[in-house]
This record gives sequence, structure tokens and C-alpha cells, in this order.
Amino acid sequence: MTALLAVARYEFRMQARKRSLWISAVLLGGALVVLQGERGPHHLPLDTPAREVVGTWALLFSILMPLAYGMLLADRLVRDRKLRVEPLLESLPHAPATRLAGKFLGGVAACGLPGLAALLIAVATELPKRHDPALIGWALVAFAVVTLPGIAMVAGFALVCPTLVSVPLFRVLFVGYWFWGNMLAPGLLPSLTGTLLTPIGDYAATWLLGNGATALFAGTPGILPFLRPDPTAATAAASVAVIVLFGLIPLAVAAFLAHRNARQTWPAKA
Amino acid sequence: MHIEITDLRRRFGRVTALDGVDLTVSNGMFGLLGTNGAGKTTLMRILAGVLPATSGRAVVGDHDLSTRAGRVAVQRRLGYLPQDVGLYPDLTPTEFLDYIGLLKGLDDRAARCRQIGELLELVGLSAEAGRKLKGFSGGMRRRVGIAQALLGDPTLLIVDEPTVGLDPEERIRFRTLLSSLAGNRTVLLSTHIVEDVAQTCRQTAVLAGGRVLFTGAVTDLTARADGVTWEIITPGPPPTEGVVVSAIARADGTHYRVVSPRPPAPDAVLVSPSLEEGYVALMRSATPTPVG
Repeated sequence: MTALLAVARYEFRMQARKRSLWISAVLLGGALVVLQGERGPHHLPLDTPAREVVGTWALLFSILMPLAYGMLLADRLVRDRKLRVEPLLESLPHAPATRLAGKFLGGVAACGLPGLAALLIAVATELPKRHDPALIGWALVAFAVVTLPGIAMVAGFALVCPTLVSVPLFRVLFVGYWFWGNMLAPGLLPSLTGTLLTPIGDYAATWLLGNGATALFAGTPGILPFLRPDPTAATAAASVAVIVLFGLIPLAVAAFLAHRNARQTWPAKA
Repeated sequence: MHIEITDLRRRFGRVTALDGVDLTVSNGMFGLLGTNGAGKTTLMRILAGVLPATSGRAVVGDHDLSTRAGRVAVQRRLGYLPQDVGLYPDLTPTEFLDYIGLLKGLDDRAARCRQIGELLELVGLSAEAGRKLKGFSGGMRRRVGIAQALLGDPTLLIVDEPTVGLDPEERIRFRTLLSSLAGNRTVLLSTHIVEDVAQTCRQTAVLAGGRVLFTGAVTDLTARADGVTWEIITPGPPPTEGVVVSAIARADGTHYRVVSPRPPAPDAVLVSPSLEEGYVALMRSATPTPVG
């Protein structure tokens, strides 16, 4: 447990100190605020319920900010080899899976920081005009159900996949996936958009809106219909669980392989 | 910690890095000599539990390294300085040592902090404790490396080419430090710098082509050059017979020390050999065996 917390703590510390994390978050978050258009949260009527206001903000930030997280997390595992820290870490008595889990937790926490900051800043700009303290509570709920599950899924894949393909290739593929799997209307091309598996948080944001409208494409007919139930509180919860579990799959596979390697024995005779 | 290695082999595809190594290492400082590519680093990595062998036995204390349980048991008592130690550039030495300390299982925060302070003092980095590692020179990075290896007071210390890239003063300081640590520990020092072994170790082994060419006392390795080490003073070119180990230009001519079974010149004088000459004599007498 000490080793897991140590890796998570120092991984968080190293990533949270990265200027690129904050610069990209400010640039992408800022661009979304400026370019939000008439459907954006700034244009919601003053009597709009707090949960709907915050839900709209959370979805807005989820459109692009996870791209920055994916880019930054892509080198976290492979950089141990690049920096030549790996032999030293492998000579220590903790299990390799512990290091992987710690990097995941630290990475999610570090990327969650600008995500939470963006939501709280948005709420701070809304409070003077809406005078509703519930905005703060809903911001934390939105962070937990819209932002964090998406980061967890992105982190799972961004940590492990670059061990199979190069970091630059992963980044290119990730950007392509993000727009194809989250924002491309299912009617245009077969895509994962609108399914329970969209890390943009479509189902959870739709639940937060609570006004009968769909945040983006949640539940829109398309391929894999069993992953496109009607958006409700229950399907939103299911979406959060599925997104997190899906992100844990590459970690579980990598941990299993690392564990198998670590248990490798050799014969006394050739 | 006693180390017993029997018929240890390691292949990388078609390349044989270790080809039936037999070696016994007892408490104190033990030097592992050999040319680049001799298999020293592979052997060190196997002993540190970083790399599995292909076959053979390696027992450290009572722990068999061929099993995961044995490797973990050894790693709990191990301090390891890899050949080209990497550090996280975004951490300070204090943070890096704290991180490694936690991974070594040093849970007591106060004791860990105290030990980190002492080790930074020992390696002369107290003044740099709060500076990010990305600005550190090669020598300073090595010193952080040795500090992390000493965390947790390990009973087995494996240091792979620790003095490469250090300036002469740092090299001497480092050697002295390692020597002083060997009192109640086993320190396995891998190097291709013979002088480092001459100044610190009583026991040594020489690896070449993945095999042990020699194992025994440093004095016995030196004795390999008895009767074959010559000195010649000449203003002319170096002798063509044998291996010239040193050449020092003086007013009366250049003083050459040569390892050769026959006198390299009519006026050559037999002299007492150094460890370096013993090493050269051994390498010359060994029949090269192709591996791989």
C-alpha cells in the first residue's frame, strides 16, 4: 500500500508541476469558453436550474480538455525507460502492477486538477449573476460524474497503449478517436458517439441537464444498439461505471503481463 | 551476504551474454573486471533481480534468485546503482530519495527524512537538496544514484560502472566511500577501470566473452604478470613486442612498461607488476573463445 501511494503521490506531483498541463488546459478551456456559441452555458436564462447550468459547463469542458490529458499522459509509462529510471525501479521490491496502478491514480488526480479548476472558475463567474450556492455542489457532482470518468478512461488507454505503438502515433490516433467516438453524429458514419462508452460524459451530462433534452447524442440510434439505452439516471450511472471499467481494461491486461513477467523462473540446468 | 553463482547463462536471442558463469562472492568489496561487452552488466542485472537468467543458479544469502520470492527477498536488502542511472528531472534530490525510500518500504517518515539528510550530506549534496535534478551534472547525478542505493542500509550493494564520467577527484572520493561501506556489507563493484579495483578490493573476478577468466585475490591477479613485466627507457619509438601498458616521457627518454613473455628490447629490465599489468597478462594469455 505504501508503494502504491508513493507512486501515486509522486506521479501526481510530477504531472501537476508540468507547465504544459496547465497551458494546454487554459488554451483549450479558454477556446471553448470563447467559442461556446448560443447553446453554451453563458447564454442560459437566469432562471435555469443550477444542475443544468453546471451540466452544460461540464459538457463544454469535456469536449476538448481530455485531448490535453491524453497527450500528456501518453508518455508517463514509457518515459521511465526513456529516462533510464526503469532498471532502478525494477530492482525495488514492489510488484510492477503497483507501479502501474500508482501511475494511473496519480495521472487521474493530476489531470483532474485543471478539470476541477475549470468547473470551479466557471461557477465563480456564474455565482454573481445567478446567486445560487447550489452551483458549487453541482460543480462537484458534475466533476465526479462527467469529468472524472472520462479522465479515468483516457488515462487507462494513454498509459498503456504507447507501450505498443509509439507515443506520437498514439497521440494522432487518440485525436482521431476522440472526434470519431464522441462527437461524430452516429447518422453520418458508424461510431461510438451516443453510446454508454463515450468518455465525453454524454449520458451523465444529459442526466444533469434534467430538462428532457439530450446533451449531445446520448441514446441516438446507431451501431451497437444495446449500448444506446434511453438516457435516464440509471443509464447515466451505468455509463459512468462502464467508462471507468473500460479504462481499467488496458491497465488490467498490462498488470497481468507485468505480473507474469515478474514471476518468471528459470531452470538450474540449460 | 554470501553470493554463490553456478553455471549461470543468459542469452539474448542468438547472442550469449553469460556462458556458464561460476562465482563465489563473500562479505567485503568484490571487484568485477572485464572489457565492454564482457557480460558484467548482465550479471549485475540478474543479481539485482531486474533480468532473469536463461539457466543456472544464483543464490544470495539463502535466497534463490530463480524464484520471484527469492528475488523480492534479495531486493529488500539490496542497494543497486545501475550503469547509467536515470533520475526524474522534475524532482529534487530530496524528493527523489523520498520516493525511492518509500518504494523500498521505509515507512517511518521521520526516520526516512533523517536518513535522506544524512545521505545527502555523505555524498556532498546537502546544498543542492532543494534544486531540481534536471540541472545536475553527470557527477552529481552519480552521487544521487549512490545515495539512493544506500537508502535503507542495504546489506548487499551492487554498483555497476560507478566511476564512469566522474572527474579524478570525484572518482577517488567515490571509491573511498564505497570502501568505507564494505565493512559489514557485500559490495559488488563492476568496472573496466582496473585502478578502481586495485584501490578498493581484496577479491576480484575477470569476465571475458561471458565467461569467468579469473577469480581470486587481487594480489594473485597481479602475480599473473610476474616475470613478464618489463621497463624500457628509450628516446625512440615504443617496442613492438608485447603490450605497452604505460609510456611516460622524461628527460632521459620515454619510460615504457611492457607486458611480454620475452624481453621486448635487449636493455629491458624486469619490474614488479601492477594490477593493471596482471590484468593485461591474463587477457593476453586467455584464448579468445567466440560466443554467440
